[in-house]
Amino acid sequence: MGEELREAIRVVTDKPIKYVINTHMHPDHVFGNAAFKQDNPTYVGHYKLARALGTRAKSYITASKEMMGEKAFAGSEIILPTMGIKESTTLDLGNRKLLLEPMPTAHTDNDLIVTDLKTNTLFLGDLLFSQHIPTLDGSIKGWLAVIDELSKRKADRVVPGHGPASMEFPQALEPERRYLTTVEKDVRQAIAEGKTLSEATKTAGFSEKGKWKLFDQYHVRNVTAAFAELEWE
Amino acid sequence: MPYPLKTLARSCGMAALAGSMLVLAVPGAYAEENIWPTLKEQTFGDRPIQENDGMVVLEAPQKVEDAALVPLTVRVPPSVKGKIKSLTLFIDKNPDPKVATITFGPAQGTGGERSFATRVRVDNFSHARAVLETEDGTLHMATKFLAAAGGCAAMQAKDPDADMTDLGKTIVRVFPPALESSPIWSGQVMIKHPNENGMQLDINTAKFIPARYVKTVTVKRDGELVFKLDGTFSISTNPNFRFTFGKGKENNIDVVIVDTDGAVFKGQSQPKGS
Repeated sequence: MGEELREAIRVVTDKPIKYVINTHMHPDHVFGNAAFKQDNPTYVGHYKLARALGTRAKSYITASKEMMGEKAFAGSEIILPTMGIKESTTLDLGNRKLLLEPMPTAHTDNDLIVTDLKTNTLFLGDLLFSQHIPTLDGSIKGWLAVIDELSKRKADRVVPGHGPASMEFPQALEPERRYLTTVEKDVRQAIAEGKTLSEATKTAGFSEKGKWKLFDQYHVRNVTAAFAELEWE
Repeated sequence: MPYPLKTLARSCGMAALAGSMLVLAVPGAYAEENIWPTLKEQTFGDRPIQENDGMVVLEAPQKVEDAALVPLTVRVPPSVKGKIKSLTLFIDKNPDPKVATITFGPAQGTGGERSFATRVRVDNFSHARAVLETEDGTLHMATKFLAAAGGCAAMQAKDPDADMTDLGKTIVRVFPPALESSPIWSGQVMIKHPNENGMQLDINTAKFIPARYVKTVTVKRDGELVFKLDGTFSISTNPNFRFTFGKGKENNIDVVIVDTDGAVFKGQSQPKGS
């Protein structure tokens, strides 16, 4: 995957690859880093990315090997960021400025978003899922707050972490906002009724079934995470 | 400087080995390493244990979604009339297989279904066990197989900074039964605590985050002991317990929690009507 991305870049330009930006810690967004080692780039990420990835490294490697097989996994490697972003930062690529913004805990605790200021294109990483069910590995309240903040912005297009290459903004956020709001509402109600975590995982958010790909794989996990967060309210 | 995969894998694996944790690719390999006989002997000596005799029921999800947060519920059916001495929970393949020992007191209640629920970390495909000790000193066990693997990451909180900010925050709830005259009531205790297992590598210091976890939880109803729990880091981050107790006069629940650093946290339920 990383190699394919590098090849695709090389079809368009032979300019040096100076930066590799990771939007967050998940394996499908960081394991490609190794393909760019030959370019000796600066690896850029949220300032909490290194800690998050470091503590998960072993299980990510084990799980990815099992899922992909040794052959497909070959060459994958965890490379931690060499540049941690704590405050909004502009990278100037020469007549092309990229705005990097670290987000508070939402999809994960290390989400970084990128705006290409020249074309006013937002790269939201996995803060935006389309078709593929959103996966919650941070904070549901935090994620909904980030969506609220983002939806006030103006952008000519948005690139989701999973979904089509380009989408209209801010409409693209709506299905995800609906899903997360539904889960939040149902889980809050289960907690108010004194239900347990396992009881909540059997009912909460099931009105969203059929509206997302991979619902069966991730939904119960999302409800579990939401419950463990919201029961503290 | 980029940390190559090998270095990280080795550091994490070393801690894992120290805790006698093995990485298995297939659940089929499990049968060859039955560590239960050893565990059993260490904990209960040569005392006989009745298996699946209906005195205790263990519930676990069929499919584990998050190995860091696996709900386990133990039920003692109403057909069991007498008092309960203790309950011990095990996850055979965890670095510390003994999850918790719960010793019950005079306010435990009788005359209905009793239950105890918590959430645990599961590090590998493993059996979970609940061993119940009844008043007459006999032991009864229920077992469930958990298909879950988390590696070191199963021990990782989603938002460690937010959790540390609230460390020690304790919530105690009482759930009156539909019929308030019922002899068995239920309650809940939850505490914000990382329950660190000492296996997390802090990438900024290249050192392992020291183990720090909830050691004892003492729960009283109107001043009388419901149970005392001795726990390990197999209990999930932000430990959470649902339990039953015998109906009392006020039904106020008081909790004292002590962690391995000697920090003491206290909580109590809101008195009725407030």
